[in-house]
Amino acid sequence: MKYNKKDLTHPISGDRWNHIWSGFIGDKLAVLALLIFLFYCAISLLAPLLAPFDIDDPAFMDLMNSEIAPSWISHDYRFLLGTDAQGRDLLSVILYGTRLSLTIGICAVLIQATLGICIGLIAGYLGGRIDNFLMRCADIQLSFSNMMVAIVFLAIFQSLFGIAMYQQLAMVILILVIGLTEWPLFARTVRASVLAEKQQEYVDAARVMGISSKRIMFRHILPNTLSPILVIFTVQIANAIVAEAALSFLGLGMPSTEPSLGSLIAEGMAYMFAGSWWICVIPSVTLIILILAMNLLGDWLRDHLNPKVYKD
Amino acid sequence: MLIFLLRRLIQACFVMIIISVISFAIQGNLGDPIQQMVSVTASQDERNQLRESLGLNDNFINQYWRFAKKAVQGDLGTSFYYKKPVLEVIFQKVPATLELAFCAILLIIFVATPCGVLAAIKPKNPISRLIMIVSSIGLSVPIFIVAIFMVYFFSIEWNVAPSFGRGETTEILGLWESGLFTKDGLSHLLLPSLSLAIALMPIFIRLIRAEMMEVLQSEYIRFAWSKGLSTPRIYFIHALKNTMLPIITVGGIQAGTLVAYTILTETIFQWPGMGFLFMDAVSRVDTPLISAYLIVVGGMFVMTNTLVDLVYGLVNPTVRLASHGI
Amino acid sequence: MNIKVMIAGCLALLLLSKASASTLRMAFNADPISLDPHEHLSEGTLQFSHLVFDPLLRWNKQGQFESRLATKWQRLDSRTIRFYLRQNVTFHSGNKFSANDVAYTINRLKISPDFRAMFDTIDSTSIIDDYTIDVHATTPNPLLLNIMTYVFPMDKTFYKDQDQIIKYGETFASRNVSGTGPFTLVSRELGSRMELKRSPAYWDTKSVGNVDQIILTPIRADSTRLAALLSGDVDFIFPISPIDIERTKRASGIQVVTLPSTRILLLHMNQNRREEFQDIRVRKAINLAINQSLIVEKIQKGYATPAGQLSSDRFLGYVKNLKPEYDLAKALELMKEAGYEKGFRISMMAPNNRYLNDEKIAQAISAMLARINITVDLKTLPKAQYFKEFNNKTADIMMLGWLSDTMDSNNLFEFIIACQDVETGFGAYNASEYCNHSIDENIKQANREMNPERRIRLLQQIEQAVYNDSVVVPLYWQQLTWAAKNKVRIQDIVNDQNYPYLGDLVIEDE
Repeated sequence: MKYNKKDLTHPISGDRWNHIWSGFIGDKLAVLALLIFLFYCAISLLAPLLAPFDIDDPAFMDLMNSEIAPSWISHDYRFLLGTDAQGRDLLSVILYGTRLSLTIGICAVLIQATLGICIGLIAGYLGGRIDNFLMRCADIQLSFSNMMVAIVFLAIFQSLFGIAMYQQLAMVILILVIGLTEWPLFARTVRASVLAEKQQEYVDAARVMGISSKRIMFRHILPNTLSPILVIFTVQIANAIVAEAALSFLGLGMPSTEPSLGSLIAEGMAYMFAGSWWICVIPSVTLIILILAMNLLGDWLRDHLNPKVYKD
Repeated sequence: MLIFLLRRLIQACFVMIIISVISFAIQGNLGDPIQQMVSVTASQDERNQLRESLGLNDNFINQYWRFAKKAVQGDLGTSFYYKKPVLEVIFQKVPATLELAFCAILLIIFVATPCGVLAAIKPKNPISRLIMIVSSIGLSVPIFIVAIFMVYFFSIEWNVAPSFGRGETTEILGLWESGLFTKDGLSHLLLPSLSLAIALMPIFIRLIRAEMMEVLQSEYIRFAWSKGLSTPRIYFIHALKNTMLPIITVGGIQAGTLVAYTILTETIFQWPGMGFLFMDAVSRVDTPLISAYLIVVGGMFVMTNTLVDLVYGLVNPTVRLASHGI
Repeated sequence: MNIKVMIAGCLALLLLSKASASTLRMAFNADPISLDPHEHLSEGTLQFSHLVFDPLLRWNKQGQFESRLATKWQRLDSRTIRFYLRQNVTFHSGNKFSANDVAYTINRLKISPDFRAMFDTIDSTSIIDDYTIDVHATTPNPLLLNIMTYVFPMDKTFYKDQDQIIKYGETFASRNVSGTGPFTLVSRELGSRMELKRSPAYWDTKSVGNVDQIILTPIRADSTRLAALLSGDVDFIFPISPIDIERTKRASGIQVVTLPSTRILLLHMNQNRREEFQDIRVRKAINLAINQSLIVEKIQKGYATPAGQLSSDRFLGYVKNLKPEYDLAKALELMKEAGYEKGFRISMMAPNNRYLNDEKIAQAISAMLARINITVDLKTLPKAQYFKEFNNKTADIMMLGWLSDTMDSNNLFEFIIACQDVETGFGAYNASEYCNHSIDENIKQANREMNPERRIRLLQQIEQAVYNDSVVVPLYWQQLTWAAKNKVRIQDIVNDQNYPYLGDLVIEDE
């Protein structure tokens, strides 16, 4: 686990950001990815306004309208993307599903980041035994795949609370489980940056001036580790969304009454053979495009901010 | 070296203790074992008596101690559903999962290595570009979507390969039920292992490419060029060898992901392995089985990770000096 | 070492491919939980019983009795039937079959928690000689023969002294089996595979059946099960989801067989848990708000019959003019009258892998109830979990499917409508906790009534009373749907009770 000090030792100045920004604008793929991500964020935020139907309305789920093909096939223009087997408008369901998936993804990563950054800062700055201990914990945590841990814990929660209770708490539990399982990635990267920064003269200077270590950590060191954090942040959102979808697919995530993209795909699977492919395919495509955009964005950031991110 | 070894072992034990406490807590708290054991008509007295005789009224530490002692002896309880010792149930399913994982790993090695190397040595080549684009997209397609569409196209629409179960298996040495030696068994392995491999391949292709590119720029390779060594020799012997170290580490970490993915794959393909068993146990609230699965899989993780660490320590002596972290 | 193993593998492959000519690989949605035929009164157990055991008599396709282990029978009086048993029949264990085994089995059925309600009507048996036995009912019993289709003689010598019945428990009988049936159990891996082979000493040598080996694999997911059939992994599946039927019919080499069954799907509204349900107006409103025909049309794709009552048209209790009703406006009005205009919140549970599309139906129902402002917290559970919850009655509305075991209306009423009585097993599946003593009286009366006309009147009276009181919400009568390769002649052996007589199954040569 070698790292190249040179990569880590340049505090990013305003100039550097400008440079990155102009590079970014020049890269059409990256711009496209960002636009897609922003588009998803926008439709998630505005889902209640954009959705043609109110999903809380009892009339929303009407068996009369079940399995109508997308409007370009069925020419039924009430339902742009068709309806699912329960007669729900697929567009509305997908909008809300995306909103749910993205919320879970972002919240989970916020937890990961907060936890990871704090632990990384503490470990890196204080060093010694605490550092040793925390990093061993990170190693252990990393050696268990987060998916595995999430599956096990959700299964346990589900049996512990009973499915009823669980379905009410599903979202919070999902966020917590995904959030608490992948902090080591942040922690390791932050720690590496801190170790490099610590040797910088400005930190010594700050210390000599008697600034408290908390202040040094958060006000001086942390801003300089932002670029690797940004990269991990982007990629981790994608991972968290995939994890949520997979868990919902297994029936451990969101209940079918409040579907995320993963549970929509799981439900649609049964209708593939019967010919109602859109129930499964459209949510799948929605999910894949979102993940692809996040990954492209992450790749681009990694290439251009060039931080040494610890790969998993 | 000895201290390093000792440290890792202590750590492994520590992790196992934590896992066993968690799984014990599951057993104790999920469902009342008495409920499962007596008939509905049993009186409160009978229940209390049974509770006492089973030691369920003792405190947590005592109960845990008893549980741990039994666990060390290989007794993790009896499955409610299978009515057999849980370890027996789980070990019966181990071959299926291992074979699936093994085939997926083989596929990954034999496809990802050449792809990654090619993408690294000829980055401008259209094939390498294609490889990179495909792997970018592949990275973004969740495994269950891959699996669903594989089932749909390959087994329903085109009838190329079966989509459920293990097919014909043969018993080897009376211990290991293998699907690797019959045509039927192999055809059943095709789709599940392929989807498992496809899900993990992109990560490895990208990783091999990145590491390889880094190594190719090192002075050591430049020196090899100037020495006039043959091109394949440089690429495949000298360069590739040096990219292997980080790949082993990542591989060790990805082993966890692999196990998690086998749960998904096994569920979709009804592959009678441990993951399928576990999901079944969850739906049946078969708590002894759930907690035993946790211990077994946890143990497997700890074992592989400790081994990877040790191998790594042997291969790369610098690790011994800075054994913790970076 | 490896080469040896490979050779062994190849040899095994050769041998197996030769034997597979009359191997039936089938995928059902479930496998029996226990090998004990008296532990659960469930479809899986009875299907298994028809493979490994033989009944005294069974139903044929025309709805007549067909002799099996009893060669003939004779009604001595209104309470007694004499059975003449088949001779030279041996159990798989090698023990000889005789009247002792029949008496033993009936006694065991009388203490089985699941079967005793049915067998309480039988008072005793008297053995006349080794191959003749009299069965005495407690009261004059019109359905004695129907009940006797559930007597699958068990091997007394084999089970004796270790025959306790514990639901979900580990007993000798739940792991070991010895019957007289066409197949013997070779191996069983619970939840993943069961292998049976034809019993060489099977008495019915005239049977046309040519299946030597059966491999039963439970596959839970409908789409996976169908994929297994289409890709040639299995030869015979049950059930096939209605959504896939149209397309499967067009697939080459595959046949779909459907039969209307008498299994009724219904909802229980628990009156002990919810005082709202004690109000008949609320129960009526719920009945009116649920559109059975739409559920059948959209979710079951027409492969079911919408029900307004419990008895199917084959049964004596069927009342012709009780049709399913759907009237949202009236339902809202009734809710208003009852003072629940704003509605209320209830819990509902349904299995998600027991009945075809059960989860989707439950979801549709919760949407329909939302129209009358009843908010439903729906939980759908795997059946293993569900039926435990059902026994504990943990939700306000619970779904149940019921197949009349005696092919008679009164069985439905006894289990689903009658007041609960732990002693007699009456009302064992009454999750409405509804109790009406006048209906109970009629049910008991119908159990004794030997006059067919009076009996029909009684049963129809009960049906009408259940309807008037909106005790439960009948949904529909299920249709059974099987699919198989063309060469497997399943149409000859399936029946509307869903006990395929696989012993008589013919697989044609290709």
